[in-house]
Amino acid sequence: MPDLTLTKVAKSFGANVVLHDLDLHVRDGELFTLLGPSGCGKSTTLWSIAGLHSPDSGTITFGDRTVFDGGRIDVAPERRNCGVVFQSYAVWPHLSVHDNVAYPLKLRKERRPARAARVREVLELVELDHLEGRYPHELSGGQQQRVALARALAHPPDLLLLDEPFSNLDAKLRERAREWLRALQQRIGVTTVFVTHDQDEALSMSDRIMVMDQGRVRQVGTPEEIYQEPADVFVADFVGTVNVLAGRAAPGADGTARVWLDGLGRPLIVPAGAGLDGDVRLTVRPERIVVHPPGGAPADTAGAVNTVTVKVRSRAFLGDHYRYVTDLGERELVVRTLTPVDHGSELIVELPPDAIRVFGPARPDMAPPDPT
Amino acid sequence: MTVTAGPRPGTAAPESGRPRGPRRLSVPATAGHYLIWAVTLVVVVGPVVPIALASLWSAPLYRSGGHLTLGNFRDLLTDPAWWAAVGNSAAFAALTTVSSVLFGVGAAVLLTRTDVPFRRLFAGLLILPIMLPGLVLIVGWMAMWAPSGYVSSWLEVNTVLWFPVDLYTLPGMALVATTVAAPTVFLFCRTTVLAIDPALEDAARSAGAGPLRALVSVTVPLLRPAVLTSALLVFAISFEVLGLPLILGFSNNITFVSTYLYDNWINAAPPNQGLVSAGAVFLLVCVSGLLVLRNRLVGDASRYTTVTGKAAATRVVGLGPVRWALAAVLATALGVLVVVPLAGVVMSAFTSILTPYVTPWSVLTTANFQAIADHPIWSESIVNSLLIAGVGGLLTTAAIAVVSVVAHRSAFRFRGSLQQAVVWPRMMPGLVTGMAFFWSFAILDPSGAVRGSLWGIGLAFAVRSLALGYGVFYPALAAIGEDLVRAARTSGATWWQAAMSVVLRLSAPAMAACFVLLFVSMLNDADPAVFLVTDRTPVMGLTMLQLAATSTGGAVAAFGVIQMVITLAVLGAGRIFLGVRAHA
Repeated sequence: MPDLTLTKVAKSFGANVVLHDLDLHVRDGELFTLLGPSGCGKSTTLWSIAGLHSPDSGTITFGDRTVFDGGRIDVAPERRNCGVVFQSYAVWPHLSVHDNVAYPLKLRKERRPARAARVREVLELVELDHLEGRYPHELSGGQQQRVALARALAHPPDLLLLDEPFSNLDAKLRERAREWLRALQQRIGVTTVFVTHDQDEALSMSDRIMVMDQGRVRQVGTPEEIYQEPADVFVADFVGTVNVLAGRAAPGADGTARVWLDGLGRPLIVPAGAGLDGDVRLTVRPERIVVHPPGGAPADTAGAVNTVTVKVRSRAFLGDHYRYVTDLGERELVVRTLTPVDHGSELIVELPPDAIRVFGPARPDMAPPDPT
Repeated sequence: MTVTAGPRPGTAAPESGRPRGPRRLSVPATAGHYLIWAVTLVVVVGPVVPIALASLWSAPLYRSGGHLTLGNFRDLLTDPAWWAAVGNSAAFAALTTVSSVLFGVGAAVLLTRTDVPFRRLFAGLLILPIMLPGLVLIVGWMAMWAPSGYVSSWLEVNTVLWFPVDLYTLPGMALVATTVAAPTVFLFCRTTVLAIDPALEDAARSAGAGPLRALVSVTVPLLRPAVLTSALLVFAISFEVLGLPLILGFSNNITFVSTYLYDNWINAAPPNQGLVSAGAVFLLVCVSGLLVLRNRLVGDASRYTTVTGKAAATRVVGLGPVRWALAAVLATALGVLVVVPLAGVVMSAFTSILTPYVTPWSVLTTANFQAIADHPIWSESIVNSLLIAGVGGLLTTAAIAVVSVVAHRSAFRFRGSLQQAVVWPRMMPGLVTGMAFFWSFAILDPSGAVRGSLWGIGLAFAVRSLALGYGVFYPALAAIGEDLVRAARTSGATWWQAAMSVVLRLSAPAMAACFVLLFVSMLNDADPAVFLVTDRTPVMGLTMLQLAATSTGGAVAAFGVIQMVITLAVLGAGRIFLGVRAHA
């Protein structure tokens, strides 16, 4: 399996720039996810790799084979040897399951016995060998999706490209399909680029994730890195839930800084590099916030830093935990805990310094995505 | 690694970096696109050049001498008879278009998406008239519904009812034309209705719309491209129609554009060629305006892409008791418009005289058919028309399919001009198309080898039928999701392979419908043959027109019955063909 490299790939539709000099490298056998909100350029990137869109400039190489290089080289999609699973599946309704999967093999002049064997092999792989003779309209959505996957794997491809393949499946099926696809991908070791806007999908399946926004790369890293060490507030906010708190920082002792939040008497102690000063934004994940139940022994909070009292504004029971929206000074703080607390009561919460990430002030292009 | 996605036994190691893409002879798609584009333009647009020349030249083109002049246009535009003809044609075409669209769209929705009883029967009756040449229907209408017709007289004598429309007026002619034009609209819209994803309506239902409201607010607007395309076609067909005014307009002296041109070419001595050419050019200018308008109105075709990669089935909306009332209305309308006139054709064909005062049984005869068999030119015209309809229909269907796919599913630079080229020949009156080919052959083929053969007439008929076939084919093409093609491309198919194995394969039902329509249209076409026909190449449509102009309906009706039989056979075969279509 080759690796995949994109260098300075740019694409505009009219005045609308959808990719800004994008660089990306996908390692051999890796499952690499492009994650971002709608319109961030992830699908355009995928289609540029597949050859269905021509970028305006840049280069795309599969291993040492250049498939796109500015205006000089633009290998047609049929010569790129990719397997693509479309969001709509695009299973041909006039062909049986067998014929759908056999199509790429026919085009490659595979002899009939070898073709039949390979079709069977791939269909076994996706656990559909018993439905070989069926037509797409006789299959469920999940089955159609697996036909699309089998067809994409049949040739076999150098590169597997998945465009939001689970978005048409229900939640349970989606979760199962995720695990199943991940296991399958690891078993056959095909280099895979996966496009999704669903952070759970990205976190649970990927070797590495690239978070994109408005045609730019925000961060590339393993799921853990993306979640725990987000490169900026956008990434922190897009991947998982996070509290974003604006404040003013001043240098503190021992490599820490103190941050004053509006309406809060005491500053928060945060870990800081050199010279943290002026306007900052803090992020803290709800599940990292320690909740001390009201009326608990004062000893519980002894020695803890960053303890504050908050008032519960609303609560939601989500089965395996409670989610509270609380008032922290003039801000909103989302807290996640197993402890039941009544609406309107007060909580003592602790924001451990190592759970807090500090970022610079908001810039217009770093605005978090619209929650709608 | 138990199951490999890597190299299979017998294939080269991938480390060499050689792409394992499909092996084949690689012809760039663009070269093919340019070739198709050039051929289409030459065949469709090329023949117009001599008409433009002739309209600006003082002498006929086949004669030497002459000079550039605007005199032909001056003569035309200052002739009050011409303007009267334009007014009549426009009023007639507008009336026919409005009534056909109302009837055709209503029927398409009612008969495909609701539970009105006898849907299949009604749909079958509705499309029956387009199988027959307009002339035969006119004969049937005259026999039954004219003021002295069989049924209208019978009604007046035996009941308190009477037939409210005089056939020999503009509304009367429009009513007859609607019988033929409404099925065209119906067919266009039905193809689209069947392709619409039921989920779109379900979405409206879930938003709070009742089933009928959902049908009207979602499905009907999605018909816009089909309605616009078909309405434009109906308008153009009605604007150019020759047989109807020639026969029905005669007694009240109602002149149409077509009869104006016909008279000035056929009956004027010497033929007023420059004037007729100028009239043709005038029409072309108007029609180009109409086409621009159509494109503005239809807008972005992808807005109407309704089938995605996911397969689904059509559902039926329940109307409750209203369905019986609707069925009664449909039955009455179809009875008056279709059943009675067609019965008139059959009765005329098998009787020596048809009047309410003589029992038809007493005057039964097969003499009308015997006359056709005995007349060498008449019988030969049937064989010739079958050849043109069969071979020509197939070739034209293939051409329409390939041109449409290039025009709509490629990145070809000039695809827009291809879309226009396919639609606009229908806007030319058949007479003008015939004239155009007559002159093109006269200039390019002085030996007369093509003009004297069936290929000449066949080509003119084919060009004239392009838009008709395209109108059936295009909505189905637009309904095929782009992802299905992309999937083929990424699987290793070239543009042409993807077009063949996915797009054309999925549009096979539309191609079959296209062929059936082309077959019927080319079998019945007459107008272009006026200038191209020779003693050795008679065709049925023209033979019938000449016959209808000079004699009573018996032999024409017999011709009509023969065409009905042939057409039903073709339709039966089409049904078998459709039966084995895609499992979509």
